[in-house]
Amino acid sequence: MFAAATGMAAQQQNLDVIADNLANADVAGFKSAQATFAAIGGGEMLGTASTGVREIFAQGKLVKTGGAFDVAIDGAGFFAVERAGASGFTRAGSFSRTADGTLRNAEGWTLRGVHIPANAVSVTVATNGRVTADLGHGATSAAGRIGLVAFVAPEELRPVDSAVFAATQGSGIARPLAAGGDRQPKIQFGMLEKSNVSIVESMMAILAAQRAYEANSKGVQAADEMLRIANNIHRS
Amino acid sequence: MATAMQAARSRLDVSAGNLANVSTDGFHKHLSHVSLTDHGLVASSSIDSSQGALKHTGRTFDLAIVGAGGFFVRDPDGSVVETRSGSFERSAAGYLVDERGRALLGEHAPVAASADATIDARGIVRDAGSEVAQIRLPAGTTVQSGFLESTNVDAVREMVEVLDAQRAFETAQKTLGAIDESRQKDVNDVMRVKS
Repeated sequence: MFAAATGMAAQQQNLDVIADNLANADVAGFKSAQATFAAIGGGEMLGTASTGVREIFAQGKLVKTGGAFDVAIDGAGFFAVERAGASGFTRAGSFSRTADGTLRNAEGWTLRGVHIPANAVSVTVATNGRVTADLGHGATSAAGRIGLVAFVAPEELRPVDSAVFAATQGSGIARPLAAGGDRQPKIQFGMLEKSNVSIVESMMAILAAQRAYEANSKGVQAADEMLRIANNIHRS
Repeated sequence: MATAMQAARSRLDVSAGNLANVSTDGFHKHLSHVSLTDHGLVASSSIDSSQGALKHTGRTFDLAIVGAGGFFVRDPDGSVVETRSGSFERSAAGYLVDERGRALLGEHAPVAASADATIDARGIVRDAGSEVAQIRLPAGTTVQSGFLESTNVDAVREMVEVLDAQRAFETAQKTLGAIDESRQKDVNDVMRVKS
């Protein structure tokens, strides 16, 4: 009975993770997650236990948005962002310009390394991350550089916002990653990386999880029924 | 009859354990065996080591075993365990570890790999073309990088097994009741002393 109950708990967690993926399917830069399980008890069957939730950092599709400050990473790496002194790392590149010349996303994370002059009309970003401000009348000025960082173990990053992650002891520290060259990630200006959630796959995973939950609940019922029958031995 | 009920109960436990692990990658189902001995029915279980279906994940360090045996991983406390669950990732120190933090063992030492390493069917880890490590594998067994082995549990078969065990339990209980009843007759009617 308890083995079947651990199966129900596992499928419940599985559903939670899939639901979170689906909820964020339209969030640019969102990375899907997957719940993982392991058998417990070895030779004696005691059921299953969760071994955690794994982030899947597969590349999402890049789509042209034309946003004046949209950037996407084609390849590995993360943008370094900060909010109230805390560092974060994200692949979501939907930023807007603020009065103090920085680029900030909707959740208040500021992109590091970019300062746009107050008189700039527009900006362009090269594939190596260099930002150039157009001051009008053909004049331009350098406006900083968007740096990319990489981790030894990105799977160990801890999500802090829907698409922003923080470094942990397990992930290692952020190391700068060169961009723009051959076999290097490229920064694409005017594009956004969509989430890597596959709606179809998620829907199928929901169906499978639901059925597995049901099957395990039948296991609990059967064990309960056996106990009921055993209790009736005397009366039959 | 009590042993028949116990046997049905252990069959249910085995099936429930299989059902609980229907989402556990690399899990191999357990099979129940019931045999008649001098002490009544005795249930035992064994592991069905038939190959589970390979499911594509595209991650280099997801490894599926094709054939018998498993990977050798080392617990943080030093003990070496064999496992078929092949979802590895790089640790901060660059070693391949599974989701419980156990290091994947090569022929000589734990396997370290860079983010763009490749792993071939014989378990040879290559980094930019040059061989850096060999994953320890049983002879004749190959690995598939970018795949995970799904469990070989068939949920439908386990459901049938659950129902079957439940009915077997019920049958044994009914029989036990019938035996009880006939003994009651023996005691109360046949052996009644006429006064």
